[in-house]
Amino acid sequence: MRTPLLDRRSFMRMAGAAWAATLAPASLHALERAEAVFASGFKAHDGRFGMAILAEDGTIIERVALPARSHGMAYSAVSGRAVAFARRPGTFALVFDTRHRQEPVIIHAGEDRHFFGHGSFSPDGRLLYASENDFEANRGVIGLYDATDGYRRIGEFDTHGIGTHDMTVSDDGGMLVIANGGIETHPDFGRTKLNLDHMEPSLALVDAATGALIERHALPPALRQLSTRHVDIDARGRVWFACQYEGPRNDLPPLAGHFAKGEDIRFLDLPEQTTLRLANYVGAIAVNRAQGLVGLTSPKGGYAVTIDAATGRVTGETRVSDAAGIAPSPQGFAVSSYDGRFERSTADVAWDQHIIRLGRL
Amino acid sequence: MMPCLLRSRLRSALFGLALLPAMTIGALPGSAQDSNPLPPVVLTEEAISAVMTRAVDDVIRPGYRDMHASATRLADAVSAYCAAPSPDTKAAAHAAFNDTVAKWSFIEIVRDGPVLQENRFERILFYPDRKSTGLKQVQALLVKQDKKDATAAALPGKSVAVQGLGALEYVLFGTGAETLDGQKDSFRCRYGAAVAKNIAATAASLSADWEKPDGVQRDWKHPGPDNPAFRDGKEAITALLGILVHGAETVRDQRIEAFYKGEDVPARPKSAIYWRSGNTWNSIRGNLDGLRTLFRTSGMEDLLDPAEASIAGSVEFVIASLERVVANVDPDIEKAVGDPSERHKMDFLIINARDLVLRLSDQYGGAIGLGAGFSFADGD
Repeated sequence: MRTPLLDRRSFMRMAGAAWAATLAPASLHALERAEAVFASGFKAHDGRFGMAILAEDGTIIERVALPARSHGMAYSAVSGRAVAFARRPGTFALVFDTRHRQEPVIIHAGEDRHFFGHGSFSPDGRLLYASENDFEANRGVIGLYDATDGYRRIGEFDTHGIGTHDMTVSDDGGMLVIANGGIETHPDFGRTKLNLDHMEPSLALVDAATGALIERHALPPALRQLSTRHVDIDARGRVWFACQYEGPRNDLPPLAGHFAKGEDIRFLDLPEQTTLRLANYVGAIAVNRAQGLVGLTSPKGGYAVTIDAATGRVTGETRVSDAAGIAPSPQGFAVSSYDGRFERSTADVAWDQHIIRLGRL
Repeated sequence: MMPCLLRSRLRSALFGLALLPAMTIGALPGSAQDSNPLPPVVLTEEAISAVMTRAVDDVIRPGYRDMHASATRLADAVSAYCAAPSPDTKAAAHAAFNDTVAKWSFIEIVRDGPVLQENRFERILFYPDRKSTGLKQVQALLVKQDKKDATAAALPGKSVAVQGLGALEYVLFGTGAETLDGQKDSFRCRYGAAVAKNIAATAASLSADWEKPDGVQRDWKHPGPDNPAFRDGKEAITALLGILVHGAETVRDQRIEAFYKGEDVPARPKSAIYWRSGNTWNSIRGNLDGLRTLFRTSGMEDLLDPAEASIAGSVEFVIASLERVVANVDPDIEKAVGDPSERHKMDFLIINARDLVLRLSDQYGGAIGLGAGFSFADGD
């Protein structure tokens, strides 16, 4: 196992020998890979953490042990590698080869950085981008990792915001789309939000080659407590974003929107009932390009909502208590829940808040 | 609600285990339910409202009132010390400081509501201060001796790091504190008195906010669709449990592991909270007292299915174990981290604080139907 950024002994001490023993050699994996469609992080009922590879119907095909809780994931269809990023303020990311040609690789965040829980591969699979916190300077950065060289950290870009969370890459690989949630945190304070009365949410487009800021959309003062947290891109290249509101619970702020490069951001004008069902907290967003749909989940409201990407109209609302992750599927969207449901299957795990689809529909 | 007799038996069974060594604490009866949990109990809005009402009226409001009263006495004591330095006035000021630390530590676990507005929390306590920002600012202010800095009116406009308990601790116990004894109304002492008054004023505003009948206390007691805090009982009880879970996490991560992370990691005794005044464990004891009082007095146990009431017993058992050990650790942190037997106590505290977090978040949260959702959806 190559661990170029990791003080391996320190990491093993942190992760524990029991966890290390669960990393089975690749030869033990002999499952039919064609079934593998989704991946998601989970917490098992014995308190251990992992990521799972799942079939279209939500059946778990394979589990990979993780030393601590993960959050978002990245996948490269070119290389077949999936990455589980530690939940903030975690400091590990695990790269897993879904084709089992290589042992898992652990990436460790740098000395003054921690992962924010999301990342993405470049379209050619050669670079891995990760959202990170430069916590001493209180600024978000995108860490750049060379996937062709053991995930060596080769640099970082400024996100032009704080509390960076989700990020993705344009189809041509030329632009990074970054959600700066605007909430200050510091590992000394755990997950405590330090600036709820002066948040600075924004969405930034950054040149993937140079790190130069292309454009930045700060939210207006009236919406400064609306944390822009998750993003996806539709078939037309429009950026869709979803938000979590930190202001009074009886406000009804807009919770999702979209924009294209060069345009102002536009919020969805959702019906009041839909906004109430999303409970001021959209936990995940996903685009189904083939069907022209956008999916939102709210664990707090217990709903999954689908929206027509062309018109912005709500096309469906499904009650899903503890709704967690969402990803495109032939039926529209696959949705998981904190209490172990994933499509038609139920497992003895708590699914984390994000699902990644392995490959296109 | 659980019959008193049954509760009493469960408590007896739990407390009968008090002599078990620390590492066996994970085997308490409550953990047996992990493998075969009962279906979560169905909570009514009335039951939750009753718990929230007790939490607000019997714990939070009295907590802030006590903090305000103590801080007022502290301001008076420091002013008296400045006006007439003597061993007696000094001892009174120090005792008042220790009392305010205890009172604040009790209520600081409530990191929710008005304390998050206008940086009130940080105005009272700026910690951790890993880069010694506060220390440097206080030292610079003392060197500069600008008269304006020694007035309570000027402090709210300054850095939060020079306004609160950390700054006052340095004045009373830090390098140069002995100069307070030799001069009436010295600049250093007047600045300290101003800080104490500022703390009292901040505590007064917090208490006033919680005492308004149609303010935050109403919002917390009566969740509803038009409520700015909680739309329903589930949101309210999630927040209340969150106070406990995050409070326990803070004790472990921020208050103990800030200076001691185990045998393999170099200790940083001067990173401990209130190390100058020897109040580190006094503060942690106050935190634990706040957690136990909030859990017990609010009647969170009443929300459990009677068959799972042992979860409440195990929560209280773990907190009591932590309090018992905290009371016996050397308050001199330099000495504590250098003594194997004291380090053993701190290892116990770290392990059991972690256990407390799990009992609250997973066991209690699961039993009342919050499940993994309790901690999974907290802002990611």
